[in-house]
Amino acid sequence: MDMLLEEKHRAVRQSVRRFCEREIKPIAAEIDQEARFPWEVIEKMGRLGYFGIQVPESLGGANLDAVSYAIIVEEIARVSGAIALCVTVHNSVAVFPLLTFGTPDQIQKWVPPLARGEKIGAFCLTEPNAGSDAGGIEATAIADGDTFKVNANKVFVTNGGVADTCLIFCRINPSQDPSAARTGISVVVAERGTPGFTTGDLEDLCGMRANPVCSIRLSDCRVPKENLLGKAGNGLKIGLAALDTGRMGIAAQALGIAQAALEEGIRYANQRHQFGVPIARHASIQNMIADMATQVDAARLMVYRAALLKDKKQPFSKASAMAKLFAAETAAKVTDLAVQIHGGYGYSKAYPVERYYRDARVTRIYEGTSEIHRMVIAKSVLQEG
Amino acid sequence: MHSIVCIKSVVLSTPKGRMSRSPEKSVLNPFDRWALEMALQIKEAHGGTVTALSMGPPASESILREAMAMGVDQGVLLCDRAFAASDTLATSRSLTAAVRHLSPFDFLLFGVCAADSDTGQVGPQTASFLDIPMVGHVTRVESANGVFTLHRQLDGFLEQYELASPPVAMTIHPAAVEPRDPTLGALGTAFDSAFPITCLDIAAVGLEPRQVGVFGSPTRVLSVKPVDKKRVCEWIQGDPAIQADILVEKLVKAGLVG
Ligand SMILES: Cc1cc2nc3c(=O)[nH]c(=O)nc-3n(C[C@H](O)[C@H](O)[C@H](O)COP(=O)(O)OP(=O)(O)OC[C@H]3O[C@@H](n4cnc5c(N)ncnc54)[C@H](O)[C@@H]3O)c2cc1C
Repeated sequence: MDMLLEEKHRAVRQSVRRFCEREIKPIAAEIDQEARFPWEVIEKMGRLGYFGIQVPESLGGANLDAVSYAIIVEEIARVSGAIALCVTVHNSVAVFPLLTFGTPDQIQKWVPPLARGEKIGAFCLTEPNAGSDAGGIEATAIADGDTFKVNANKVFVTNGGVADTCLIFCRINPSQDPSAARTGISVVVAERGTPGFTTGDLEDLCGMRANPVCSIRLSDCRVPKENLLGKAGNGLKIGLAALDTGRMGIAAQALGIAQAALEEGIRYANQRHQFGVPIARHASIQNMIADMATQVDAARLMVYRAALLKDKKQPFSKASAMAKLFAAETAAKVTDLAVQIHGGYGYSKAYPVERYYRDARVTRIYEGTSEIHRMVIAKSVLQEG
Repeated sequence: MHSIVCIKSVVLSTPKGRMSRSPEKSVLNPFDRWALEMALQIKEAHGGTVTALSMGPPASESILREAMAMGVDQGVLLCDRAFAASDTLATSRSLTAAVRHLSPFDFLLFGVCAADSDTGQVGPQTASFLDIPMVGHVTRVESANGVFTLHRQLDGFLEQYELASPPVAMTIHPAAVEPRDPTLGALGTAFDSAFPITCLDIAAVGLEPRQVGVFGSPTRVLSVKPVDKKRVCEWIQGDPAIQADILVEKLVKAGLVG
């Protein structure tokens, strides 16, 4: 593993780990149970650069590389999946597309406050009738003078309850432009506080409960035309580019959760005695630990490889999809085994593996389900062959 | 004001008792974090510069970069094969030479001890080689009308020392200050750029091989073994108030509280 990393990456990991263990770990169980977004920690993270990890310094960011980014998300997820979710979604599918597709004016306006964590970003694609099939979205933006009148019903918006700057995927003037009905998806940026912008109740989630995931509704919401991101009709391109980076982040998040579960599994296996010996001496437990450690290691290699490819400006789409699929499935298996090692105690909130188990589950669902990832990977592999 | 902070790269995990110094396992001695923070606060209050000085193998460069990410102006690595196997006396002698090389300075700061060897000797010995005053376990550095007062806390007593004039050496108490986290951006910059770390070998600081390393070290460690601590579990019965009383009594008798 270390052959892939530079000294800088180790320093970043040490520093982030120290911060997370001091500031997040002690409250991780409580914010999960209370479904509370811990502003007190988020503000500190903002000042330290966690909300502009790959943003240039001139725009208020930390200007780090993709490998550092993966390590940071992994380390946050090792103590709290929900906070890692907040950070990775903000950085990868909100800030990154703004930086990549925004005009200089748009970048100057939106990126610095987001990079400093003074504002939080969100990515609003999913709708009640459009999940895996993103092309099926129904949100509309009707041109009217120098504004768009936007109507959208976005669900499952990560950071939704606290987001200020939201990328809304919608169709511009679909009734006048029949091509927009199926392919013409665009992205407009809507800001909290604009009349017609409302957020729904928080989702009562199984895991990731400290993240304020909720619906965002825009009802005849007037968004200035200059808030169109990229060209009209380029929404899917923007979405796919964002998700390539986003998936690497989710993969790193899944990896961090799996790592935490592995550590807890080892700790408990050494400490719990049954039949007169630590349960770590029983072959079944050893098999579980071996599988867990191997899978976590493999997932980590895949995640860092995807990040390295991105840093080397090589195509990383397939590597990031594979890393996301494998890390998510690994997180699910490894957290399941960690619960098993804990026996009944693993099923109780008295031990953290119960939370890891719940948190891991959704990594197989969001930013593309495992099934959709297999489709994407198969298509890419079959084309090559 | 020029503060020099002596910091050490320590190895915190030694699987199977074998010590191997590798960059992955090396961290900044946790006790030195407070010394760095104190120096940075002195700089913020009075201006000037902070130098971080470390004697150690090349891998120690990384803690100097970390110190620079925290806000230190200059990192100096005292590095030479001849330093290998230095005891605390040889280390103090070497640091003294490096500090003289970096003079003038006003404050020389150390952690109270190192997390690996835990002697607490290097700070005081260096001060005595330099023949400057030394205050240990400093909790606060105050100044009024150009006069510095150092507070220290030891064994339940608070002491105050007025400083006739710098330079002074001090070790910093872990409760003195809250060490800052480097920002992610500063970490990236400190490690990325050709951020200069000054490297000094023994010739540069005017030392000779016989003064340092194994030749300059009178200490001979014959063996180090972990002690098998027998733990016994004792149950205290009764309602919670009585249990608490019994527990406190036992702790007082054992000399652990009181
Ligand atoms: C906690 C959380 C946070 C989220 N955050 C965001 C966010 O910030 N922004 C956002 O836009 N969305 C977000 N989502 C939504 C998430 O991306 C979607 O839930 C996901 O894309 C799946 O869509 P769906 O729920 O509608 O399921 P569906 O698409 O209805 O899928 C149901 C099942 O059918 C399978 N399936 C669907 N189509 C196919 C196919 N062609 N072939 C094979 N199998 C198929 C799926 O794999 C799945 O198993 C979030 C969801 C959650 C739970």
